[in-house]
Amino acid sequence: MPAVPIADLDGVLLVTVGEELQDRTVAELQRELTERVVDTGARGVLIDISVLDVVDSYLARALHEIAAATALLAARTVLVGMRPAVAFTLAELGLTLPGMSTALSVREGMAALR
Amino acid sequence: MLAIPLIGTLDSMRSQVATESLLQTIVTHQARVAILDITGVETVDTMVAQHLLKTAQAARLMGAECVISGIRPQIATTMVQLGIDLDDVVTKARLASAFEYALGLLGLTVSAVGSR
Repeated sequence: MPAVPIADLDGVLLVTVGEELQDRTVAELQRELTERVVDTGARGVLIDISVLDVVDSYLARALHEIAAATALLAARTVLVGMRPAVAFTLAELGLTLPGMSTALSVREGMAALR
Repeated sequence: MLAIPLIGTLDSMRSQVATESLLQTIVTHQARVAILDITGVETVDTMVAQHLLKTAQAARLMGAECVISGIRPQIATTMVQLGIDLDDVVTKARLASAFEYALGLLGLTVSAVGSR
């Protein structure tokens, strides 16, 4: 059982991040996700972070690396559901995740990957 | 789509309140575009200008696009002199053009009804 569930929805991998996200889990997710993208030939990855009320610089960098890695594997990563407080804190820290696609909800994220 | 018209003097406190309500409303209404209209704002200091920029960046992180409209010529000059870089934020001169741009993003147009 993986620490973070990854669901394959019609060529899009949906990753639902849980509340308790540790650095170790993030590293595991990073590795597993790239493998799954290759295995399934997914065209997109949706990472739902709507339950997180903290995103630190480590996670921000990891998300960025995931997006870059999946892009090399021809899958686009979309970050979904970032909370207002999290978004503003990241902007304050200057972690604006340039080049990263974002969406308000899973539904919109799916639409963006269509 | 959301529009938040800011009027009067913007200090750090007010801009913070505006930011919080804007970002929260984006979530409640699932708005894909937010227009921050500062036509009614006379002056902007460094803090406030930085704050506007961060608001726009935060909106983007959440999956919405933030357009800033109605920057007065004096404010534009001040911002340039302060070295505030709004490169990655869309700005429009008037609220009307921001609205038009927002409609475009949503794939909508406005046309007259029953014209013959």
